[in-house]
Amino acid sequence: MTSIESGRASRRRVLKGAGAMAAVGLVGAPAISKAQTGAIKIGVPTILSGRVAILGQTSVGGLKDVFDKFNAAGGINGRKIEMVVRDSKGAPQEAAKVTRDLINNDKCEIILDAEASSAAFAVQEVIREVGVLCIHSNSETSSLTADPKLHVPTAFRTARQGIHDAIGGGDYAAKIAKAKGLKKWATCSPDYAYGRSNTAEFMEYAKHFDGNIQVVEESWPKLFQPDYTEVVTKLLNAKADAMYSALWGGDLVAFIDQANLYGLFDKQASFMVNLGDYGVVDQVKQFPQGVYSGGRYNRVVPPTKENEEWYQNYVKTQKHKPTNWSWENAVAAEFIVEALKKTNGDTNGKKMAEAIKGMTLKSQFGTKGSVTMRAEDNTLVDYIIGYGVSLSKEPYVADFQSSAWEPIFELEKQWKKKQGYIS
Amino acid sequence: MTSRWRDLGLAGLGLVLLLLVPVFGAPPAIRDFIMFGMAYGLLAMSLNLLIGYTGLVSFGHAMFFAAGAYAFGLAMQSGKFSIPAAFVLAIGFTALMALIVGAICVRLNEIYFAFLTLAFQMLFYNIILGWVSFTGGDQGLMGGIPRPKFLGIDLADRTQLYVFCSVAFVVCIAILRQVVTSPFGYTLRMIRDNQERAAFLGINVTMVKLACFVISACIAGVGGILLTLFVSGAYPNFGFWTTSGEAIFMILLGGSNVFLGPLAGTVILRLLNDITVSYTSHTELVLGIVILVLVLGLRKGPLDLLAERWENRRQAAAQAIRDAADKDAAKGGS
Repeated sequence: MTSIESGRASRRRVLKGAGAMAAVGLVGAPAISKAQTGAIKIGVPTILSGRVAILGQTSVGGLKDVFDKFNAAGGINGRKIEMVVRDSKGAPQEAAKVTRDLINNDKCEIILDAEASSAAFAVQEVIREVGVLCIHSNSETSSLTADPKLHVPTAFRTARQGIHDAIGGGDYAAKIAKAKGLKKWATCSPDYAYGRSNTAEFMEYAKHFDGNIQVVEESWPKLFQPDYTEVVTKLLNAKADAMYSALWGGDLVAFIDQANLYGLFDKQASFMVNLGDYGVVDQVKQFPQGVYSGGRYNRVVPPTKENEEWYQNYVKTQKHKPTNWSWENAVAAEFIVEALKKTNGDTNGKKMAEAIKGMTLKSQFGTKGSVTMRAEDNTLVDYIIGYGVSLSKEPYVADFQSSAWEPIFELEKQWKKKQGYIS
Repeated sequence: MTSRWRDLGLAGLGLVLLLLVPVFGAPPAIRDFIMFGMAYGLLAMSLNLLIGYTGLVSFGHAMFFAAGAYAFGLAMQSGKFSIPAAFVLAIGFTALMALIVGAICVRLNEIYFAFLTLAFQMLFYNIILGWVSFTGGDQGLMGGIPRPKFLGIDLADRTQLYVFCSVAFVVCIAILRQVVTSPFGYTLRMIRDNQERAAFLGINVTMVKLACFVISACIAGVGGILLTLFVSGAYPNFGFWTTSGEAIFMILLGGSNVFLGPLAGTVILRLLNDITVSYTSHTELVLGIVILVLVLGLRKGPLDLLAERWENRRQAAAQAIRDAADKDAAKGGS
């Protein structure tokens, strides 16, 4: 079994903590835990507390199964993987410090950054300095790997990307809009960088594929806003044909519960990129039927035996359902394991990076049964992107349509040119 | 030796001790801990100039921490400034901001002052979030902070960065010490204890408070610069109200009546955080319990308690000497 530091505080842990505190009191410095000889330590800075603790919990869940299998098979050259998980609370400066501590204190040789976006940028700067291998497994902000100014040779991303979702989603939305005559659109997304850029990109590509689409109302509820009455009223007054929302997590659950009271989903077509994820679908009191739901993770997408097995195994070992973050981290773990095999267990950042660059892995999360770490910008491609129609009970999604990657690549290139990332 | 020279001597000794840390080959983690502590220590120490010495409870002090961080980070990312120039520019910007905010806030007292500072902080925080093209919005200043060499100093080297932070930190602490031990510092205490009386004595209370507000903001700004150098970025939560709350926690933990109390609070808070985070994700629960114990049990910061006990013992010893002298005198008389 993969051993994971952190977690529940047993009596022994508490005693160890008290001992460490006493030592610290004597020397006036934080406790330094010695690296366990032999184990390949992988540091995982993530969010384990607060409102988005589910991000950290389900990320670690995704990693654990892969590393457990690797360890059960004997590891590499007798060395097994040990995860060291630390809570950064999502604060970028804490994430930077925690990452440095994981490398300097806990002697982690690889960083698996399971942080949300802003903290991921802080981790990226630490990696730029220390040069160990890092895989960002949760940050969807496109610039992290698309902007050459931010490029770090030993840093990769296995998370889905905002621009990929926007192009795939825009294409899907345009097809539905043409078929159903959805011309007037409203948007309702969280008022911060992710919500604004995601929505702008989705609508840009929806308009690209269907020139008749126009946005008649924009609503920007605050992050973690408890009451959506005003937002729902605004959306109803707009009398739009369709709505797009990038709300996520608890905010999305609260919004749906409150919008149901006004019958919002019966009055317009709704497209929600973050709807189809466990943690949302099973938390909403009355899950709306017929909403166009973005693919995050679902046990029937893809409807393969491997995916169902992965889902069952995850639920059995973790006692909760996997999320989008789970598969992204599982893929990150797979890349690390494969790279370790290629380098014969050498964890040197440059060697690991060379091994991962351009690597294609067999994976049930890929459109063609595989995913690739694109060499030109160290980011994951060929993973499943698409939309389906929501169902009010299991499996919560029907008629899922995967987006083709060729048009995504083409439009992504144009987008990069527009941003000045490539010439 | 005057107390001023003694304080400067102690500051020099403190700097030597800090510089000995890398000399004795302390692991990078300890240096990181100290650098992080220095940045937050300046935030807490500067806030205590307002809270502990002037009686102005500011809920918005982190805005100056963030102002220093962003001004420095943006200046360096522009590529037009050397590190010393950006440093001075950032402090100048923070001072100007503090002058404007302070001119409005210091006219008010107690809860009105506290809430107005909070309001300005949230305004500044929302400007950072909203002005995405300039500040990077909620993603912060991305792409790292360039650190070109100056005067042969290379801050890309962690040891040199540590030395630079140590010098800046000790200079700021020495400045704060000079302020609180100067006549100006005693004027601040007089305003804290009875500002009407201070006004009757001819003190321009508003101007003194404003000067204190600006000095305090500048020191917090230096803290922000040090953190920016440490994490190679600046982020909106540097200026969020929770960061101001953290600084108040640090003052509570260490004590507000002893000069170095907030610094002790910073060390305690960071140690608690760094140790508990290794064992549990319930860091806040541990912090909450510690604060409850301090508030309900000690009713003051540990350094305040130690200082009080020291003073009591000193007075008891002096009284014993006086009693003995009285006894001798009585014997001689009889």
